[in-house]
Amino acid sequence: MGNDSNSRKSPAVRLLVAWTIVGVPLAWGVYNTLLNSLKLFQ
Amino acid sequence: MALFSFLDRDKSVAHAGFSRWLVPPAALAIHLAIGQVYAFSVFKIPLTQLIGISKSVDGDWKQTQIAWIFSLAIAILGLSAATFGEWLEGAGPRKAMFASAVCFALGFFISYLGVATHQLWLLYVGYGFVGGIGLGLGYISPVSTLIKWFPDRPGLATGMAIMGFGGGAMIGSPLAVKLMGHFRSATDAGVGETFLVMGTLYFLFMMFGVFSIRVPAEGWKPAHWTAAVKPAAMITTHDVEVNTAFGTPQFWLLWIILCTNVTAGIGIIEQASPMIQELFKGTISPVAAGGFVGLLSIFNMGGRFLWSSISDYIGRKPTYFIFLALGAVLYWVLPLTGANHLNSVFLFVSIAAILISMYGGGFATIPAYLRDMFGTHHVSAIHGRLLTAWSVAGVAGPVLVNYMRESQLQHGVAKDAAYQSVLHFMVGLLVIGFVANLMVRPVAEKYWISGSTGR
Repeated sequence: MGNDSNSRKSPAVRLLVAWTIVGVPLAWGVYNTLLNSLKLFQ
Repeated sequence: MALFSFLDRDKSVAHAGFSRWLVPPAALAIHLAIGQVYAFSVFKIPLTQLIGISKSVDGDWKQTQIAWIFSLAIAILGLSAATFGEWLEGAGPRKAMFASAVCFALGFFISYLGVATHQLWLLYVGYGFVGGIGLGLGYISPVSTLIKWFPDRPGLATGMAIMGFGGGAMIGSPLAVKLMGHFRSATDAGVGETFLVMGTLYFLFMMFGVFSIRVPAEGWKPAHWTAAVKPAAMITTHDVEVNTAFGTPQFWLLWIILCTNVTAGIGIIEQASPMIQELFKGTISPVAAGGFVGLLSIFNMGGRFLWSSISDYIGRKPTYFIFLALGAVLYWVLPLTGANHLNSVFLFVSIAAILISMYGGGFATIPAYLRDMFGTHHVSAIHGRLLTAWSVAGVAGPVLVNYMRESQLQHGVAKDAAYQSVLHFMVGLLVIGFVANLMVRPVAEKYWISGSTGR
């Protein structure tokens, strides 16, 4: 029962929204950290 | 209570066709939030200037007093994970995530009161104790759910979540700095208001995880995937109950492996900034050393995802062999890259980055190792108890490193040479971990829950 292949799929937009909600803050954090780490090479 | 019935496990069972790729973001929402604990150091200086505002004055708290807040939070993380893991298995991930969010946010709010009334004990109780319970609950809450959704790639699944814990500091640190800058005035350091805003923001962020987490329906399996007829020798086909697992040699061997790997990693994290400056005196400035610390945090996060994903292909035991054997070699070589020997900043940074990636990888791969040994039935609860190894390493590691270093310096050893002894001591620890990993065998049949499937 409940097999992926024989049932309706979750909308792709829902996946996109979910990953964006966690991805944007994470990307912002990584960007800030990368900027900071560049000081090592200056 | 009917009001909170949406938190019940049976209300979070996924409908047919639910995409399992919606579960990692739910887990990440929790781990990215609670990972903020590793950015607590940004509050250290402002908390010592609540009265003096621009500098510490009489009556302000001391840094040594502030340091206990973080230590307490980490110790409570391990203890609460061990204590509530069994409850979590029955209550389900949604209830546990909700409890985690309430505790974590409440920790900030109580700490706000502590800052507003200048009573340090409220920060110990708030961020340290109540917040620490939120950390422990949040850390283990999505683990068994992810493993059940990804029986084909458990390492990848838990790696995605635990990567969030490594990444949480990268969000928490700049967020706190910006908020404190916003609220700061001539009469206010801006810490209290920052606690209020962060508690609220993190609570809302974690609610996304609470509402979007789903457990798979009984008997669900990924499309086009069937469990191997003849499973790998090191992957069980049966479950072990948490209290039984606690009495197996395998549990304690994995405890030693995690503890030694974490202690060794802390040896670098704890000393990263002063170490690079003293090993390359005159070459690396304090600002550049700050950049080095930032670089390490990226590798810490990346290693969590990378190594745990690799473990799905090469197996958990070989992955830890790499961590412990390669780690031992690299810890031995690391001090030799300094100005007095090879004099290579590039080599030093590269080796430290690999070591810290394996430190993170050790955290992220352990839930899948536990699943291989004890099945999925009580894996969160067993994981919770294993995290006491982290509590021990988190408290003992820095003490050990600082004590050894101080002792060396008092005996007249040069600052850069003192690191050699500390890092070579870490080699010894990793060898112990290596032997423990060597001794790991499948769990004996007498410990299995009768009739269980391990999946």
